[in-house]
Amino acid sequence: MIKEVHETVLWHLGSMTFHGKTLVMTWISMAAVMVFVLLGVRNLTSGKPGKMQNVLEWIVDFVRGIINDNMDYEKGRPLLSYLVTLFMFVFFSNMLGLIPNFTFGLLHDVHFAQLGHIFATPGMMSPTADINTTMSLALLTIFLVLYLGIKAKGLHYFHHFVEPFKVFAIIHLIDLLAKPMTLAFRLFGNIFAGEILLGVILMLPGIWVLPGILPTTIWLAFSIFVGAIQSYVFVVLTTAYVSQAVSESH
Amino acid sequence: MGGNPIQFDYTVPATVLSFLLLVYLLSKYAWKPLMKMMEERRTNIESMLTQAENERQQAETIKREYQEEMRKARQEAQEVIAKATKVSEVRASEILAAAHEESEKIKKSALVDIERERDRAITEVKAQVADLSVLVAEKIIRQKLDMTTQGKLIDQFIQEVGEMQ
Repeated sequence: MIKEVHETVLWHLGSMTFHGKTLVMTWISMAAVMVFVLLGVRNLTSGKPGKMQNVLEWIVDFVRGIINDNMDYEKGRPLLSYLVTLFMFVFFSNMLGLIPNFTFGLLHDVHFAQLGHIFATPGMMSPTADINTTMSLALLTIFLVLYLGIKAKGLHYFHHFVEPFKVFAIIHLIDLLAKPMTLAFRLFGNIFAGEILLGVILMLPGIWVLPGILPTTIWLAFSIFVGAIQSYVFVVLTTAYVSQAVSESH
Repeated sequence: MGGNPIQFDYTVPATVLSFLLLVYLLSKYAWKPLMKMMEERRTNIESMLTQAENERQQAETIKREYQEEMRKARQEAQEVIAKATKVSEVRASEILAAAHEESEKIKKSALVDIERERDRAITEVKAQVADLSVLVAEKIIRQKLDMTTQGKLIDQFIQEVGEMQ
């Protein structure tokens, strides 16, 4: 069943394999984010901002608020660019899976990079519906935590692994590994499940297609909600982990 | 492939690189300028607020100065009016006094004139009375003087003359 609605397209490069569909969708999301953001910063002004600039400023202020709630803002300031990008990318990625496939089978016979296969499904795919994407972001988060922790405290950062006793290092290590795992699987699970259900609804046969409109609409609306919430959660948790690493209270 | 959706491969590093590139591009071309603008706006608004406060204070000062000047002007006007009133009063009393003096003088000269006229009148009257009495006397004398009386008078006259010598 899963294979039917969620086909993986593999690219081979030497002995390496890539999830081609995921990567293509990732780049589409990134392009969408780029277009959206660059449209917003096209006519930057410190006076009365245009509509798009206003939206971007709202997003920046929103993420700034998240940082402010979690840690000393001065410590979190370098994070702002990363977190805003992360927020927008995850959100756009989550939304991408809800958009129908508008290629109308034009790419069906394109064999380059198996694009025909990639755009064969009725809808697009969220890059975040692939564990590879979410795990990449989660790993970046945890590297960020380690990097900023070491940057803030030097080697003293590792001291908290053996507190209060040396045995606790095991628990701290599990904690350190669990953080990216939970981050990655939470996002992946939410979005992947949403897409599977969407795919299943879209596969309703014959007479059920018309009555299927209502559940599709409801599920799409709910998926938008889930996608927004998950992108928010991802950013909040990243901020929280970083604030734990850089705060003085260890 | 298979049905298991949880498979890790080189998609992870590819995504990491892609995402880092996105972060880099957006930071450089979008977030930095955007945040700069936001900061600029913040400072702009801040300076505008300060400026507005300054201008308000200036306006306050100017208003106070104007009020002070107004008060002074009103006071001066009142002083001028008071002075004018005083001057006019003095002038009036001076004029009054002069008038009094003048009238007094006129009265005095009038009195002198009256005196003189009266004296002249009296003298004239006296003269006339004398003339009249002489005439009357003449008439009476002419009527009543008889010989004896004439003789007596002559005697008396002679006697008087003799006494004078």
